[in-house]
Amino acid sequence: MKQQPPHTTTTTRAPRFGAGPGWLSYFSLGGWAVVVVALVSTVLVLLPDDRVEADVTLWTFAPPHARMYRPLLDEWEQDGSQGSVSIETLSLPALERRMLGGFMSGVPVADLIEAERRVASRAFGGPVESVGFLDLTDRLREDGLLEAINESSFGPWTYRGRVFGLPHDVHPVMLCYRADLVEAAGIDVGEIETWDDFARIMRPLMADNDGDGAPDRYLISFWPTYIDNIEPLILQAGDGLFDDDDMVRFATETNARVIATMATWVAGPDRIAADVPEFSAAGNKLKLDGYIVAALMPDWLSNIWRQQLPELSGKLKLMPLPAWEPGGRRTSVWGGTMLGIPKSADNPDELWQYAKRLYLSPELSRSLYTEGDIISPVRAHWDDPIYDTPDEFFGNQPKGRMYIDLAPEVPRRTSSPFNKMALERVQDALIRLSREVESDPGLSGAALRSRALELLREAENEVRARMMRNVIATGAAGGSAP
Amino acid sequence: MTATRHGRFAPYLFLAPFLAVFAVFVAYPLAQSVVLSTRQMFGPTASTYVGLDNFRFLLQDPLFHKAVRNTLVFTAGSLFIQLPVALGLALLLDRPGLRGRNALRLVFFAPQLVGLVFLAVMASVIFQKRTGVLNQILEEVLGDRLGWVLQSGPWLDYPWLESQVMWALILSALWMYAGLNMVYFLAALQNVDRSLKEAASIDGAGVVRRFFAVTLPAITPVAGFVVLLSVVGSLQLFELPYILLNAGGGPDNQGLTIVTYLYQSGFETGDLGYASAIGWVLAIMLAVFTLLQRFVLRGRNA
Repeated sequence: MKQQPPHTTTTTRAPRFGAGPGWLSYFSLGGWAVVVVALVSTVLVLLPDDRVEADVTLWTFAPPHARMYRPLLDEWEQDGSQGSVSIETLSLPALERRMLGGFMSGVPVADLIEAERRVASRAFGGPVESVGFLDLTDRLREDGLLEAINESSFGPWTYRGRVFGLPHDVHPVMLCYRADLVEAAGIDVGEIETWDDFARIMRPLMADNDGDGAPDRYLISFWPTYIDNIEPLILQAGDGLFDDDDMVRFATETNARVIATMATWVAGPDRIAADVPEFSAAGNKLKLDGYIVAALMPDWLSNIWRQQLPELSGKLKLMPLPAWEPGGRRTSVWGGTMLGIPKSADNPDELWQYAKRLYLSPELSRSLYTEGDIISPVRAHWDDPIYDTPDEFFGNQPKGRMYIDLAPEVPRRTSSPFNKMALERVQDALIRLSREVESDPGLSGAALRSRALELLREAENEVRARMMRNVIATGAAGGSAP
Repeated sequence: MTATRHGRFAPYLFLAPFLAVFAVFVAYPLAQSVVLSTRQMFGPTASTYVGLDNFRFLLQDPLFHKAVRNTLVFTAGSLFIQLPVALGLALLLDRPGLRGRNALRLVFFAPQLVGLVFLAVMASVIFQKRTGVLNQILEEVLGDRLGWVLQSGPWLDYPWLESQVMWALILSALWMYAGLNMVYFLAALQNVDRSLKEAASIDGAGVVRRFFAVTLPAITPVAGFVVLLSVVGSLQLFELPYILLNAGGGPDNQGLTIVTYLYQSGFETGDLGYASAIGWVLAIMLAVFTLLQRFVLRGRNA
């Protein structure tokens, strides 16, 4: 056998692609695959865009909204009464980034933007002139829409007395309860007027029938970590988080009583609440298992329960929220959407016509209810018999009419960019109070309310310090465009 | 001569694309963030000069203090729990004659393959009350035992993401990063001179003595690198709490970290000026830690 010289190395190259022409062997099979993919994708990117540009583009974050709007817009385009509208559905964070990016840097945004409450409030701040949306106040007044639309629906889109969005909804809140369990226990919900009544009358449903030392179920889905449940209950009580001048003010006797009651719901010997998250498989399983009897139910959420929990059809019913005191408000509000026109839009008058036609159309109001269980903010549409239709999912109750009856009572909300911060500090106070109740079950009554007020004062002072530090918000500086 | 002159410019020509990208995407934003840190912003376009007020407010901001405290606790968790576990795993895999070494290596390293976001989502499911896997196992194994931990209710209802937020974060990070750090340690262990260990063994050194006298000094440079990576990564902690705690700091801000607070200030409250100030304080903290570590290692090597 022939031996290799000691200092020579032999490299044997693996055969490349086949035995074809020489250039084929320049790359391996994988290498050629990459080259082909690169070339094909380059050609596809460079192909001319055959999409016809629409007259108007609309951004929305909710696919169901897009599905409702599309047939109407197509119909209006076909009958020649309106130009074409392209709807782009973006996730909420993406819409927020693109909207704010556009407002900050001037890059193009859609002609019409449908924004959820928390996203829209990001556009508010500083002088009115710096808000990225067009001020619609005068247009709304001239068209009589300030009276035609439910008043509280304007709240989240009103900044420094000016309105920047056309309201999409009202979103009253009711209490949804397991009618099968409640009626089997012989409980008459008609006797419930206040939250105290609710806890007292429903308590037999928390019996420990399986003998494991813990209640078989809890009365309400509520937990301090779920911030979305806290705000409606605070608003329901009436004091809210901000005063009329949008200065933080939540350390009040009323709010102290509310968070003291909430703390006893989730901790201590009188606990009645459980953590059953919305929008999750785990939460849905607990609902199906009957782990909770009742939950706060804005109109839009009833649609999500209908879709995600069909097994509960006929087992649920709705009732007005128990009030915080006899004769008190029996509803609240949760969520909200508006349609706004960016200031940078070329043809605001034409866009205003588009926005009005879409949001004020009776057809859309019907679709909102039949497909989304959402009641329209346009008062004139509330006479539509569609709202009186018995709803099989909710024990054949005329659900729409029940929500509409409560709509005028819906509390007004702030648009303050500090709302989230204030709410988080209230949440922190509630969490701390709940821990104190857990570790000291004797903490109750006046002492508990006093401690609640103390915690709320601390929280309010912290938010106020941040607000006062903001020289633009407080007017200490005029602010300038960067 | 012309060729020589051209040759003199050639390196700059080659560097030009990098320098252009660096200038646009690194140098300019960096300089801009210094300017921003002296301004207050509110809403999309309103902005005003506030000098050093952002930094002054940071010093007295209880939320920032809490974020710093939480971040340092997490960093300590990384250093004193995660790294020893990673080293332990590496020592286990370095044992001669271990069966299933490759399979174990894959198991320990696997969390890296799925990525932090996926793992955080999984962790949020695991730590759920009532339906979470961890509580179901604890309920099954412990039953009524250790009731003093629970205060009230069964293990099934134990609120990890409310009462033990930092532990939930540290355990999730342990799951994610122990395998990665194990690989670094394993590579270092495999480079330790076997003859030194054998010599120590012949001299009568036991396992513990051999580890501290031979193995640990030999892997110190790599350990130093892993410590640096862990500290830097821990100080920059963001995605894990963001996902695990639903985009916030968790109950009573127990899981608020410096970068989460930076994000909240800049992109939720809308004050990019304050966020920039937080970013610069974080950068200074990172620089201090890095210098400190270099100083310690240099002293040790000397």
